[in-house]
Amino acid sequence: MTIRALERVSVGQNGIGSFILQCKRLDIHYCDHSGSSRGMNAFIKTHLSKFAQTHPAIEFAVSPRPRKHPVMIGHYINGRQKSICVANMEPSQILKKAELLRDASGDKVKRVNKPVTSINESVRGVWSPYHGNGMAV
Amino acid sequence: MKRLRLDRLASQLLAAQTSPAARLLRPSTISRSIPQTCRHSSLDYNSQPCQRRHQSTAASPAPVEEEDHVAEVEDGEPTPEDLRNGPLPSPHPSRAASSAKLAALHARLSLSSKIPLETLARALVDPSADAHPKYNNANLAYVGSTPAHGVSSQPPPPGEEVDPGLLQYDPLKPTVVMNKWGYVRANTFESAKYQSGKGLSGRVVYGSNPFGESGPAKSLPDFEVENDRNTKALYLQDAAPNAYANFVRAVVGAVYMHCGRDAAKNFVRSHFLTRTLDLSKLFEFKLPTRELARLCAREDFEAPVARLESETGRASRTPVFVVGIYSGNDKLGEAPGPDLDSALVAASINALKSWYLYSPGQVGVPSDTFTEDAAAWKPAYVDIGEIIS
Repeated sequence: MTIRALERVSVGQNGIGSFILQCKRLDIHYCDHSGSSRGMNAFIKTHLSKFAQTHPAIEFAVSPRPRKHPVMIGHYINGRQKSICVANMEPSQILKKAELLRDASGDKVKRVNKPVTSINESVRGVWSPYHGNGMAV
Repeated sequence: MKRLRLDRLASQLLAAQTSPAARLLRPSTISRSIPQTCRHSSLDYNSQPCQRRHQSTAASPAPVEEEDHVAEVEDGEPTPEDLRNGPLPSPHPSRAASSAKLAALHARLSLSSKIPLETLARALVDPSADAHPKYNNANLAYVGSTPAHGVSSQPPPPGEEVDPGLLQYDPLKPTVVMNKWGYVRANTFESAKYQSGKGLSGRVVYGSNPFGESGPAKSLPDFEVENDRNTKALYLQDAAPNAYANFVRAVVGAVYMHCGRDAAKNFVRSHFLTRTLDLSKLFEFKLPTRELARLCAREDFEAPVARLESETGRASRTPVFVVGIYSGNDKLGEAPGPDLDSALVAASINALKSWYLYSPGQVGVPSDTFTEDAAAWKPAYVDIGEIIS
């Protein structure tokens, strides 16, 4: 027995094969009395039911939070949360924020400065200085 | 190859067509007006009236036998409601319809509407949380034994009050382990107790972690039930991965039972087979040069010879040697290394991998022959395998 098996976990790439929405739960907090929640209350009355209907994969939890600014908290499959304070916003702005939370992956925001990111090996291979005839300097 | 009649074996997993939830109801809610088709499993309520469900049966991966206790309830035996003693070990199936988490999980996995929420809720109950085979996922997982993909978050301790949309398992209770991978053996309580797993063969057989060590035996509670079916119940060192895997298998089983074979194949393909796994990193060689020599002898190749192809900086702090392995005029493998020995070993490993890791290309699977006017099954050629034992 000179071969030993090693444990590896296969790497999934969301969208290849199946797509799983990363946002699993959206907490929506409002206050009945504060002026900063006026837009949120209107959003809950006008937009939320349609938004929730079009997104069955997200669990929506609406709960009051008296004497506090309204917030939306997205919970993601990777265990992280993303929260947005939507004080004094119009319902249409809040809808934009809800879509932002829906589309987020839950990861920390990273700077992407490479045009292509891939886990596949390069087709062309990596250049080696030890092969070929070399280059005359 | 004779086809396994899973539909017949697992008919108890399918809900009745008229009301899918009715068959999954708890004994405590069954009124006498409901036909008693599947209320009682093989456990005997009469002899042990105060027995709780999780103490009653072994969680067996085999499909549950058909029920034959239909007539017992009419004979005036105490109803299961009277027998209920304490909270249920897992949430009541009737709560599945009102669970937002469960509905969201159903939608997130893009499951067909043919799969009821009650089935998905049952798929989330590990045998360690609820040992009753009618309410845990052991049978569904047996139907859908395939590779895995985790979904849920950290589970709460199991019990009746838990949201049915969460995975439920108990690390201190025996569970069911599906083994479909050749020689990998389940790490039973007994093997953890008596086997150190340090021997060479033990490292292969008990290789539960990347280093092939099974860890020290934990002090575990006594078995709750001492009967002949439960004495081999499995206590795992780390219950969570097994619970996740059982859930995934149970979902595949549910897709198979409710939507059929093609849907299950599509589900497995889109969720698991599209994941990336580098096969060349799945194993390591102990004596690659020796094994390569034996391989060449077996295949009647000339004995392998290592040649230095190129080098740089031999006297420097960071030299590089490129070693190629040749059999006659054929180059078998090549690798760079910081010294001659490690370059030789790496080149031998490359040669062995290029020999063993060939791909037969697109070969079908046996279930391809189930379709109409399909060609006869022709299995892919498999190498005669390892040469040093």
